[in-house]
Order: sequence, then C-alpha cells, then structure tokens
Amino acid sequence: MKLSKVVPPLVLALALTACGGQGAPEAAKSDGGSLTWAIETEPITFNPHQWAQNKARLLVFNQFDALLAKDAKGGYAPWLATSWEVSDDGRTYTLRLRDDVTFHDGTKFDAAAVKANLEKFSEPDYNPAVKAIQLRTLDKVEVVSATTVKITLNEPDTLFLDFLASPYAGQVSPKSLRSAKDLKAGGPDLVGTGPFILDRYVKGQEAHYRRNPAYKWPPATAAHQGPAHLAELTYRFLPEAAVRVGALTSGQVDVIEGVPATEVKLIKADPDLTYQTALNSGTAFSYYFNTSHAPFDDKRVRQAFREAVDVDAVLNSVYQGTATRAWSIVAKSSPFYDATLEGTFGGDTAKANKLLDEAGWTGRDSEGYRTKDGKRLTVRAVASAPFVRDRRDILAQAIQAQVKQTAGIDYQIKIVDQGTAQKALDDNAYELFENSRGDSDAGAALNLILPEDAAINRTHFHDPDVDKWLAAAAADSDTAERARLYAKVQQAAVTEHAIVFPLYVPADQIAARKSVQGLGFDPASGTPRNAYDVRIGT
Amino acid sequence: MRSILWAVARRVGAGVAVLWAAATAAYAALWLAPGDTIDVLIGDGPDTPEIRAAISAEWGLDRPEIVQYLAYLGRLLQGDLGRSYWLQRDVGEVLASQLRPSVELVLAAAGTGVVLALLIAVLTAGRGPWPRRAASAAELVSVSVPPFVIGILLLTVFSFTLGWFPVSGADGPAALVLPALALGLPIAGVLGQVLRDGLERALEQPFAVTARARGLGERAVVARHALRHALLPAVTYVGWFTGSVLGGAVITEILFGRPGLGQVTMDAVSGKDLPVVMAVVILFAAVFVAISTVVDLAYRIIDPRLRTT
Repeated sequence: MKLSKVVPPLVLALALTACGGQGAPEAAKSDGGSLTWAIETEPITFNPHQWAQNKARLLVFNQFDALLAKDAKGGYAPWLATSWEVSDDGRTYTLRLRDDVTFHDGTKFDAAAVKANLEKFSEPDYNPAVKAIQLRTLDKVEVVSATTVKITLNEPDTLFLDFLASPYAGQVSPKSLRSAKDLKAGGPDLVGTGPFILDRYVKGQEAHYRRNPAYKWPPATAAHQGPAHLAELTYRFLPEAAVRVGALTSGQVDVIEGVPATEVKLIKADPDLTYQTALNSGTAFSYYFNTSHAPFDDKRVRQAFREAVDVDAVLNSVYQGTATRAWSIVAKSSPFYDATLEGTFGGDTAKANKLLDEAGWTGRDSEGYRTKDGKRLTVRAVASAPFVRDRRDILAQAIQAQVKQTAGIDYQIKIVDQGTAQKALDDNAYELFENSRGDSDAGAALNLILPEDAAINRTHFHDPDVDKWLAAAAADSDTAERARLYAKVQQAAVTEHAIVFPLYVPADQIAARKSVQGLGFDPASGTPRNAYDVRIGT
Repeated sequence: MRSILWAVARRVGAGVAVLWAAATAAYAALWLAPGDTIDVLIGDGPDTPEIRAAISAEWGLDRPEIVQYLAYLGRLLQGDLGRSYWLQRDVGEVLASQLRPSVELVLAAAGTGVVLALLIAVLTAGRGPWPRRAASAAELVSVSVPPFVIGILLLTVFSFTLGWFPVSGADGPAALVLPALALGLPIAGVLGQVLRDGLERALEQPFAVTARARGLGERAVVARHALRHALLPAVTYVGWFTGSVLGGAVITEILFGRPGLGQVTMDAVSGKDLPVVMAVVILFAAVFVAISTVVDLAYRIIDPRLRTT
C-alpha cells in the first residue's frame, strides 16, 4: 500500500515529461564550477533602466555595469567611467570612459552609448518615474570624443552621481535598445557589459547566467580582476522562506538570501553553513504620523504614541534579537545618520499618559480606551499586502497590544490590496502609515518624504526650514556639509515635530554552504552583492 | 443529420456566450474593485501628476471605461490579448510560456488523485468497519489540511530529510512528484469518499446479489459491476475539482518555486493587470466549457441507459 502511494504519481510524471522533453540538467562544469542561489523575489524586469525592486538588485550588476560604483564610505569609485569632473557651478559633469569595453553582442561601449542610454529616459513612455525624479534636472548629453561625454544639468544636483552609480545607469547596448523584443521587460536579448551573460529565464522558476569570458572591467571596489570565478550561475525563485532554508540545509542550493529571524539560530549552529547580515541603506522602517487631522495634529499625541511602546521589548519578541532598533528616519548604515538621536524617545509609559491627559484625552470608554468629547482615541493604519514583509504584520499586532495596555490607544491596522490601500491614502482616511525606503543615498529618500509637495509626503507635514535644508543639501557636493544639513532635518522631524516613529533598520541576510566564498553586500544598498567575486573554494 | 448539426451549433453558441459573460463579469469586477490601475503601477514609488499622466497615456487609461471595454472586445475578436501592464510583454506569450508546466501539474495531480481514490475505494468498500474507518480518516485529513501544509510536510520529509525529490523547478519528472502529490491528495480525499459511498450503495442493489449468486468473487463484483454505478456521481465532481486544482495550484507553485498559470494569475489579480486577468478568465472559462461537454459525453459512455434519450 505504501509503495502504491508513491508509484502512480511517479509513473504519471515520467509519462508526462517524456512527451514534454525538457533536456537533462547541464553537466557542463568548466573551471570555477557552477552555483545555485535561491532568492526570494523574482524580478519584474531585467531591464536595468526599469529596475524598481531592491530585492532584485543583486541580479542587475551580473548582466550590466554602471558608470560609477559606490564605495563603503559613501564615496564613488571608477567603473565604466575612469574619472569624472564636476564644474564649479555644479551643473556640468564630464566623464572619461574606458576604451576597452564591449557589450555582450560584440558592439563597443563608448560615449555615444552613454548618450543613447541617458537619452532613452527622455522618451515619454520609457520610465516616467526616473524622468520626473532622478533625471528631473537633465538638460543635455554631448559626445566630446569616443571616450569623453559631457552631461549638463539645469541646476546643481549632487544626487546625479548617485544616479550614475545606480542600476538606472547600467549600460545597455544601444543596438539591443533598438532591437530587443520586449524592451521594458528585458531578458537575454537586452544585453549589457557585465561579468555574466543572462542566457535563460524561466518565469516563475529561475534565471541562468554564464560567465562573460571577455570581462576585464570590474569596478575599483571589486576584490579581483579579469573574468568572474564562476562558470555558471543559477538563481532559483523560492518565495517561501522555510523552503529556501530547507533547500540550503539539504544541499539542493548553495546560497540563499532572506533568512527569517526564526531560522537564524539553526543556521548559525550548523558547522557546514555560513551566515552574514548587513543593514540596508535608505530609511529605517518607521511609522509616520498623519498631522493633517486629529488626533495626530497634536504633537503631544504623536509623542505619547512613541512613549507608549517599549520598542526594544517588542522587537525582541518579534525578531528574536535579530533586529536593529532605529532612532532616526535615516538608516544607521548611512553616512548621514544622526547618532545624537539615540535614546531620545520611547518606552516611558508615565510620560505617554501624562501627554495624553494634557492633550485632553482624559475619558475612558467601557473597553478601556481613552476618549475625548465622547470620541475614542483611534488611529488607523492601512498597509498594502504586497509590501508587507519582514513580519511587519506581527510587529503591528505587538504594538497594537502595547499601546492599548499602556496608554489606552486603539491602534487598528488593516492589511489590504494595493487598490484599497491607495484609496485610503487618497481619501486621507488614515492616521499612521508605515514605510521604509532602500535608496542608496538617504537624501534622495528624504526629498521624497519630507518637503511640502514631495511625492510621498503622507504626513502632510510642512516646515520651510526643512525644505530649505534639503534643497541646500541636494545642491552641495561636500559630504560633511550635507551630513550637517541632514542632521538638522532629522532633528526637526524626529525631535522638534515628532512626525515619525522610527522602529527598526531593515537588513538583508545571506546563508551559504561553507565552501562558497566571496559573498557579500553591496555598500550602496546593503543588499546582497552580485556574484562577480563569488567562488567555490575547497 | 440536421438535428446533430443543430445540437453542435447550439453547444458552440452557448460556449461563446459563456466566454463573453465570463470576460464581461471579470472586466466589471476589476473595474469595481477599489483603486485604479495607475495606483497599482505606481506602487509605493514616487507619485506625481506628470508620472500619472505618462502611465495613463501609455495604456490608454484616460479613456472612458466603456470605450476601453469595447476596444478590448474588439481586439479580442482579432485574437489580440493585449500586453501585460506589469510584465510589459505580450499576454499570449506569457500564458503560452506558463501553460505547459501548469498542464503537467494539473494532469499529474488529477491523475494521482483519481488513481489513489479508485484504489482506496475499491480496496475498502464493503470491507468491514476498520479498513473503512481508517480510509475515511485519511481522506478527511487530506481534505481538511491546507495544501500549503501538505506541501511543507511533503517537502520536509521527502526533499529536505530523505532527499528523494528536488524542491524546485519544473525540470525533470522528479520535480513534479511532490507538487502533484500536494495537489492530488485533497482530490483523492473527496473523490475517494464519493466513490466508496457509491460503491457501497451499488453493492446493496439486487444486481450485486445476482452477480454474487453467479459465483463471482467480491473483488470482481466491485470492479465489474458496482464501480460503473459509483462513477456517475464521481464524474460530476470532475468539474468541481478542476476549479479546486486551479486554486490550489497557486499555493503549490509558489511553495515549490514552479512556473505556472496560478502564480501569474495571482500576481495579475493583485496588480490589477487587466489584460492578463482577462486572458486567464477566458482560458479557464473555455476549459470549463470543454470539461462540461466531456462530462456529458462521459455519462453516456458510463451509463448505457442515457444513450437512448
């Protein structure tokens, strides 16, 4: 009986796939070997210009190279551009390019290619978001010589260097920009200059790369020169965390990313596996208060909400000691992080209750919630299900229980589909919204969140000083001066106006078999790096 | 002859009407769901009037809904399923590339379910209380445990611990075994119960007594006589389980990292990717029409009494 349970599906499966005829797994193993890496998120697109998922960033720089690279200190390093000059007025960028680079389709990389890539964004349908945000100030691109390109902006924008080091600046062969069948989706026919060549993509299953043997132009930040170590590279898409971990521990894949907090202990204890983690760039995962209506139009209520939560205890119970507490909008990994904010808020329930009493929320209803003029102290948050990750729903439940118990606040969180979430935002029918951003330059994120007319200013917060400081920082190329300005911005948002409740700094994790070496994180994003330096040792 | 042609024409006409109704209902449901496509395409990224206008113009979303609907029907009649908002690819190509793994999974799961159900029912029907209770309990468990849990259990035992089958992908028959079992077990549970009830009812009928009186063994009575009667209600369930398999396929595909229509459909619905949703609805409606036709024919084959009418 036991046997018969296993046999029928096997027989059926054999019969079915025999007529299907998918080839046997490749046996080809030249030097360097092959590696299988299970990742959580399948990319929506392989076109670097259309890139929108930080979780898919590790794939981009296998196939494509950017003009600049970001180093671990927040500065920039040469890549396809060997040097760059910024004019004194901050409006003209002159890039000198390598002259020994070829695209996977055999065409040569030169100044005309850079121009074609940048100008592609000016087409109205191509990527309206990048056109309106990152390339807002782009005026013109001129080919000075085959190896020199001059880019002029309408106004100084120091974030332009960040753009040149981003996936959007991944250089695509102009020939394939014209001929690719599905330009915006990308794929094997949209080619770059990267260390690996995408040769097979099976939607819902995997992306397969082979080594680019001609590669000799890694960024200055790379650990070795010449072609990549691995001959073949497969990324399997396994959205379920438990399945990724099982696939790793049973030896079916060599590397996984996205290790859930519940599995970290198990992996660390396994002598055959390695584990590493890094904080993401950008902004911390935070609750933002909607200041446009009651109750969070009152600063005291905003402060009270923060004081009502013992953040350390909540993070510990939800993430089992693996989460890093946040103290500012800006993530701790950023050079612009203001460490003086540490320890300035949270966990003082006496203060929370005193503030709420002062704000007039003195009544109590039958369920123990505070009231004012007969109205319950209710705050609503709406989260879009596709963006809820990292057990943020569990975190919300823990906070919900705490604020009820310690301060009588009725915190309601609804996890809904994207359309419903957007409708709540449009109708201003929320008091809290949660957000974290993975921008490589935290300033770019602040520009989207804080200024009065910013694209995702959902706090309805407005402070002319903050707007002024942000504009000044965006035009300044001196990192120290930008840090000083961003510190003032952070103090205004976190302390003076208390419009945000920073919770934790998102992180990424890599777990691998011990023999896999050279894995690491991209300093620009804090997400796993591409596979150029990865090798299988003995 | 004319009456047969007329019957065929009526059947085809009804099929087309069903397809049109399904497409229209799906279109209306997506239209009435909160939020619009532009919101979904923007996601949590920057949102400015210029960006919205550009997206709207690209997909023609600035036209009135009814115009968009008629334009869609017009293109559909020409065989053009449109382009996916999210995937930026031709919908026909996307579906075509995901069809084979889905068909493999569904057929393997359905086959597994039917074979297991037949085995269990034939072996336990009229066999005294204990085998019957054991089978009944197993069926109940397989029906009530969510497919996600069944899948994780199968993976943990047969892939992570024993290493018999690979976890992921659609390459090779070995990778199909666990997903087919995860999806097939609930089918076996329901179908097994229906079949056994039918068998036991049939075994109490006078023809079973006659067969036994002719000296036939119990097995032969079940296999040659009772099974045919028990199949009638079971066949009716085929339509039901086609639907349940397509639903369960979403979970199974995500769990096992398999390509397939289930995952594409779920992404499309949550992303309001109208062209993909519509194409899938039309495809599934066509499958249902085809299956109900086949089921009607199957009744006639199984039950000779229906042939005369």
